[in-house]
Amino acid sequence: MVLTSTGAAIGAILRYLLTLAGKKLPWNWPLTTLMINLTGAFTLGLATHYLASNSLLMAFFGPGVLGGYTTFSTYNVELVTLIHSHRWWAAASYAVLSLAGGLLAAAVGIARW
Amino acid sequence: MVTIQNGELKMKIRKVIAVGLFAFGGGMLRYLVNSGWGVLGILVCNLIGSFLLALLTYTVIERKLVANWLSLGLGTGLIGALTTFSTFAATTIQLWQSHPLAAGLYFIVSSGGGLAMALLGAWLGRRLGRD
Repeated sequence: MVLTSTGAAIGAILRYLLTLAGKKLPWNWPLTTLMINLTGAFTLGLATHYLASNSLLMAFFGPGVLGGYTTFSTYNVELVTLIHSHRWWAAASYAVLSLAGGLLAAAVGIARW
Repeated sequence: MVTIQNGELKMKIRKVIAVGLFAFGGGMLRYLVNSGWGVLGILVCNLIGSFLLALLTYTVIERKLVANWLSLGLGTGLIGALTTFSTFAATTIQLWQSHPLAAGLYFIVSSGGGLAMALLGAWLGRRLGRD
């Protein structure tokens, strides 16, 4: 439990710092969260494969670092913000790229190489 | 000039520490719910977290009712770490390999439910914020 929590703290700080850096991007479309979630889903896919034998390292890195790094709530709130501003294409593209991209990223990570 | 920069640095460090400490709590909550309810626990965390973050965004955060470091700690830290996208994606793929129907259901309830919960939280937050 402490391993997962500590990992989550590290992951969330990383997400926060990346989001801060992403605020300097010139467009108003949530690319930073998308990139965080896709890279996190891919890496977790890899981890389920490569860290399967080490449960302590997996607890720290999987639900810990990657669980805290990626976020489901921010994705949905950003989606709602786009919907509220009637930016339908931005909302639809964000949802499709996040969901389909997330599944694809996890699947590629999980697949045996 | 130096003191201003020092102050800014202190604020930045305070925010990073707040995000980390609150995320420690969010990760622990998710761990406990996951230990009790398995993949359904993650679903519950994601749905409740989407509702809470929307509610918080449209009441406390947007109206700047609390200090910046606290809203960052609660939103980005606590709720951000309570919810997880990576486990949602990986669980859907892993379920798909053994129980495709369950995987489809998990995916739809997570994504559709998450959006619905965030819409509900935003709606409630806007109502509460209107006084």
